[in-house]
Amino acid sequence: MRVLVLNCGSSSVKYQLVETTLAMIESNSDQAIAKGSVERIGTASAIHTYRPAGREKVSVVKEILEHRVAIAEILRILTDRETGVIEKAADIEAVGHRMVHGGEKFTQSVLVDREVVRQIEDCSELAPLHNPHNLRGYDAARRLLPDVPHAAVFDTAYHQSMPASAYLYGLPYVLYARHGIRRYGFHGTSHRFVGWRSKALLGRPREDTRLVTCHLGNGASVCAIAQGKSVDTSMGFTPLEGLLMGTRCGDLDPAVLFYIMHKEDLTEHQATTMLNKHSGLYGVSGLSNDMVELLAAEEKGHERAKLALDLFCYRVRKYVAAYAGAMGGVDAVIFTGGIGENAAPIRARALAGLEFMGIRVDPGKNAAAVGKEAEISPPDAPVKVLVIPTNEELIIARDTLRLVEGVL
Amino acid sequence: MEIRKLGIVGGGSMGKSIAEKVASNGIDVTVVEVSEAKALRAREELAAGLEHELQKWGITQSEKKVVLSRVTFVADLARVAGTDLVIETVHEDLEAKKDVMRRLEEVCPPERIFITNTSTLSITEIAAASGRPDKVVGVHFLYPVTTSPIVEIVRAVETSDHTFATAVALARVLDKTVIEVFDSPGFVMTRAVLPFLNEAMSLVMEGVASAEDVDRALQLGYEFKFGPLEYADRVGLDKVMGWMEHLFRELGDVKYRPCPLLRKMVRAGYLGRKSGRGFFLYEGHRRVEAPHRERKEVAR
Repeated sequence: MRVLVLNCGSSSVKYQLVETTLAMIESNSDQAIAKGSVERIGTASAIHTYRPAGREKVSVVKEILEHRVAIAEILRILTDRETGVIEKAADIEAVGHRMVHGGEKFTQSVLVDREVVRQIEDCSELAPLHNPHNLRGYDAARRLLPDVPHAAVFDTAYHQSMPASAYLYGLPYVLYARHGIRRYGFHGTSHRFVGWRSKALLGRPREDTRLVTCHLGNGASVCAIAQGKSVDTSMGFTPLEGLLMGTRCGDLDPAVLFYIMHKEDLTEHQATTMLNKHSGLYGVSGLSNDMVELLAAEEKGHERAKLALDLFCYRVRKYVAAYAGAMGGVDAVIFTGGIGENAAPIRARALAGLEFMGIRVDPGKNAAAVGKEAEISPPDAPVKVLVIPTNEELIIARDTLRLVEGVL
Repeated sequence: MEIRKLGIVGGGSMGKSIAEKVASNGIDVTVVEVSEAKALRAREELAAGLEHELQKWGITQSEKKVVLSRVTFVADLARVAGTDLVIETVHEDLEAKKDVMRRLEEVCPPERIFITNTSTLSITEIAAASGRPDKVVGVHFLYPVTTSPIVEIVRAVETSDHTFATAVALARVLDKTVIEVFDSPGFVMTRAVLPFLNEAMSLVMEGVASAEDVDRALQLGYEFKFGPLEYADRVGLDKVMGWMEHLFRELGDVKYRPCPLLRKMVRAGYLGRKSGRGFFLYEGHRRVEAPHRERKEVAR
């Protein structure tokens, strides 16, 4: 089945056309036959970048004022006689949409109908920066491809299996009841994918496997997975909680916020932007949120780059150990995401000191594991350490297929 | 109507603040100043304002760049002819605003809608000068436009529903709460706040309490962000006095007559935050504490 996967932001649409079947899923052999993105939607110079598998990249700059036009442009290029990979738009058999927030309503992916749209709208208050754009993309795609099934895959759904002891904050309970103030967690698609994929690499049934998955990218989170289910994750009500990230602060005493706002005379907007865009690796180092750049700077003796990396690794270590504790042990630690897949020194540093728990990293294997699946722990280590590149688009395509086939 | 390009006549603090807000919401802006030199300076001031916001963590470096790339400063009024909507933000002077309307009428196509930004002046009178009074509407933005959540949209006698709806559409794009107002001096917000400011000044003048204490009491007691005297200092005392004089003239009610202390301070060049001294002392944007004796002198 050919599934078009769409990820719509405020001014961008990222997409992949994925060829998948149930058999291909089992053998992990399904893949994208084309991918691309349209950026700067709403301007006279929107940029459409298109990469058909195994062929030259194509870039187009043109006026694209809304999501609908962007998706029409995507369909045009996919069916173009020269650059296209399919003959006609009708060759797309289903569309999978990334949705950020499914609240407590969605515990797994769903086929979208009018009622589902209404329920997603209900969740928009929890993700005002994302859900409305995701829905706008859905609306546009539904108009252009009205006759195929559309599925919604949520960032939060996988974590709905967390127990109340993990998802509640120590606030008056009435706030949870009234406003849904609780931890939702994000990156669910990614944690679920690497958790699923680890089964093949570990060669043991997932029923008795305890995993700690570390999705480390510009946004970063850790997830505790027991018996195939998320039982805790480091992001909370919003993606701001948990690890130190590229530009987000992660865990913070909330009293600090009010204190800073008073001392620096900040508006709510300035304070929120500070926590989300001026903090984390970037804020601590004062240099960059780019891991490659920070590692290079540290090498040259840049002290705050080192400090930022120390903070980053320390937080990962704390969460890995905490989640091992929460599950009564851990069988494998998995790294994914841009940093997790590529930054070997960070992986080693984050796990250093956890040898007492049986977590060890083989330096040679670790250094060799860049952007590919690999086991990086020594053969005799009690806890496996794995690198598994994530593929959120693929999981969206697979869920869409399974929903259409009626097996999800 | 979709607004993709906006023209702003006047690159003063209000013009720049509207430009910053509009551009950060994805709309291209052309700001007209009276000369190349002023256009250049307005651009530098916008950049400095954005840098200040960056230092306050309110925007990122790339957002600053995007805003600057969307705003063009020019010295030729005809350049707004190609925009979807024009806002006039020249200083609060009826003749100056009427003159802008007459000149806009000459360079813009007949269907173009004009917004006039004023705190007190008659929209109907400004609209009459445009030659297209049905296509003129008043929008009272509050400074700074980037953060102020409210606008008053003011109907002049002949403002059409379509024109009014266009102004509402712009306000929605800018995430503003809108109130509808019918043309009357000072509309709702300026008219209601001026007697309050005047009364606070009278309390100081009569020696009932010091400026610090008047502000402290009203700020803490009624949960204002600033006391009325600091608020007046921030707006500019000359500007506040101009508003009062206009409302006093128009409405004839003594409650708008500028407090003599305000008049004296303006004459002395104590214009508030922008001159470093008003009811309080300022260094740059920050209020600073005055020595005790100095404080008395400022107040009386």
